[in-house]
Amino acid sequence: MTSAILSTPSPAATSPPGAKPDKRGVDDYLVIDTVRKEFDGFVAVDDVSIKIRQGEIFALLGASGCGKSTLLRCLAGFEKPTSGRIVLAGADVTDLPPYQRPINMMFQSYALFPHMTVEQNVAFGLKQDGVPKDACQKRVDEMLGLVQMNKFAKRKPHQLSGGQQQRVALARSLAKSPKLLLLDEPMGALDKKLRSQMQLELVNIIETLGVTCVMVTHDQEEAMTMANRIAIMEAGRFRQIGSPDEIYEQPNSRYTAEFIGSVNLFEGKIDKDEKDYVTIACPSLPDPIYVAHGVTGFTGMDVAFALRPEKVQISKDEPGEPHNKAHGIIEDIAYFGDHSVYHIRLDRGTKVMCNFVNQQRWASESFTWNDPVWISWGDLEGVVLTS
Amino acid sequence: MSARARGWRRLLPSARWGLISIPYIWLLLFFAIPFLIALKISFAKAAIAMPPYTDVLYWVDGFPVVKLRGENYLYLLGDSLYINAYLSSLKIAVISTTLCLLIGYPMAYAISRLSPAARNIALLLVILPSWTSFLIRIYAWVGILKPNGLINNFLLNLGVIDAPLKLLHTPIAVYIGIVYAYLPFMVLPLYTNLVKHDHRLLEAASDLGAKPWQAFLKVTLPLSKAGIIAGCMLVAIPVVGEFVIPEMLGGPDTLMIGRVLWQEFFNNRDWPVASAVAMIMLGLLIIPIMIFHRSQAKEMEGKLT
Repeated sequence: MTSAILSTPSPAATSPPGAKPDKRGVDDYLVIDTVRKEFDGFVAVDDVSIKIRQGEIFALLGASGCGKSTLLRCLAGFEKPTSGRIVLAGADVTDLPPYQRPINMMFQSYALFPHMTVEQNVAFGLKQDGVPKDACQKRVDEMLGLVQMNKFAKRKPHQLSGGQQQRVALARSLAKSPKLLLLDEPMGALDKKLRSQMQLELVNIIETLGVTCVMVTHDQEEAMTMANRIAIMEAGRFRQIGSPDEIYEQPNSRYTAEFIGSVNLFEGKIDKDEKDYVTIACPSLPDPIYVAHGVTGFTGMDVAFALRPEKVQISKDEPGEPHNKAHGIIEDIAYFGDHSVYHIRLDRGTKVMCNFVNQQRWASESFTWNDPVWISWGDLEGVVLTS
Repeated sequence: MSARARGWRRLLPSARWGLISIPYIWLLLFFAIPFLIALKISFAKAAIAMPPYTDVLYWVDGFPVVKLRGENYLYLLGDSLYINAYLSSLKIAVISTTLCLLIGYPMAYAISRLSPAARNIALLLVILPSWTSFLIRIYAWVGILKPNGLINNFLLNLGVIDAPLKLLHTPIAVYIGIVYAYLPFMVLPLYTNLVKHDHRLLEAASDLGAKPWQAFLKVTLPLSKAGIIAGCMLVAIPVVGEFVIPEMLGGPDTLMIGRVLWQEFFNNRDWPVASAVAMIMLGLLIIPIMIFHRSQAKEMEGKLT
């Protein structure tokens, strides 16, 4: 698969004149142009290209070792790309050392200076730039106000909780008004409850300031919550780039479908390839799957049908529809309180996951282990994957 | 177990106290008691006797009388030889500690940046010379520095000089010897400190606009303060009382308090004055030791609160 540049339509094309003012800036604010990074023959980042809009929060998502951190370090200037260019706001920064780039980073586990107070940490970058003392103090107060840390200005980092340290790290990385903010696993060091709260707060702060942001994470939930666009990385390349809902609802390959959320994959061959529908013959299902739209493919082509568990209906009686249904028994139940996940063994042996929202109290008790059930899904609910 | 037996048990020291008491008994026997004896002698007067000083404590009509003579101390303070020896020792300690720091810091920094395998080899090379006797290593410098020694022969053969340089028995030789002998005591605590530094702090400094040398001055140097203080103390304190190096490498004019002490004790057989010299030296050294402890305590306080 090639790493295609997914160009978003320009603001002029999407918003009619007179509509509410579009706050979106230029589309090619940050341009990563065929950036490649090799370490002793190992290709960490493999000719990656992307254009990032001004004010966008862009997430690099992938498993460890996929090259996302290396790409981020190339942006920060800690690694020099083997080839390719990085252009920020029209200026080529590829050959600039980190201390000359208008880019600041919030480090994983924050890297606050332990011998300096909160205030001194935030002022560090400003002092390097020779900002006069009064202006510097004003900016520090402003930044600490933004992250609600004024009270702790005189504390040392080790006297703060993880969440407070993160706020200081954010204030420090924003103090110099960078053209680009980099976040390296921003929530990595926080516990789960604090994490979801801080994710939204962080997004609010970043959006208030309108700073363009590239973040790296291995946590899909974090990427989905925070980012405008996500790039799924694998083996140094982008597998898919898109908004969180695009990535979730329209995965372009088996890899992204399985990487984001959980999915039922049915391997099969295209049986009938018509203009407005296709059917897919799967050995694991009794009848061919009916998909109510055309696909770019040919009869007999190997494809996978991806179906998210929440799109699968579960019922005791056989559904009335002529297709997209199968019979099985409940083999496992995972109860989450708000919903349950049923693992259903189909008559032909395949296991299918099915989410069931427990809308009524005790609703989960209507199905139990070894119950014979029917599963079904709508004609438009699944995705046909060709790669 | 009966209550009675338990009562007996209580009188015996517990294992914990037993364990703690071992180093304290050691210190009492080999530090506190000898120190008190030296302190006592420093208040006595030299005499031609066995031992060669007067008693501080003696009996008059069945009553104990303690007679402390301050004259040794007054004598030391009155004679410029001793004051010069103290000042000269302090000067040599300060200069050689500075030299050790200037050489040792880059060494420790470089070692801490090596790969873990190379680091161990480099550390071994630092420690390795200590496996030979201190005396032999200093004696080896005599062979290197003497008029027909390694350096002079080398330079003569090259034709750089016509006559041998006077290296041995000069202040320079003393500094060479001290820096050589005490460098590991500077490198090791600095290394221990520097190797723990988080390199991401330097990246953060660089990210915020600090050039490498600025990042060093603002991040690495302040964070290695504890290591610098420890290294300087480990070098400066023993150097003040150093005897062997000035004796073997220094000239007759190299005045150091360790040497004066030796001469008073062995040549003049004036034990009280030698003891007083030692007591004042101890007093001088306690000041930096206390500064060191205070800075350490401050650091601990900062970490805990």
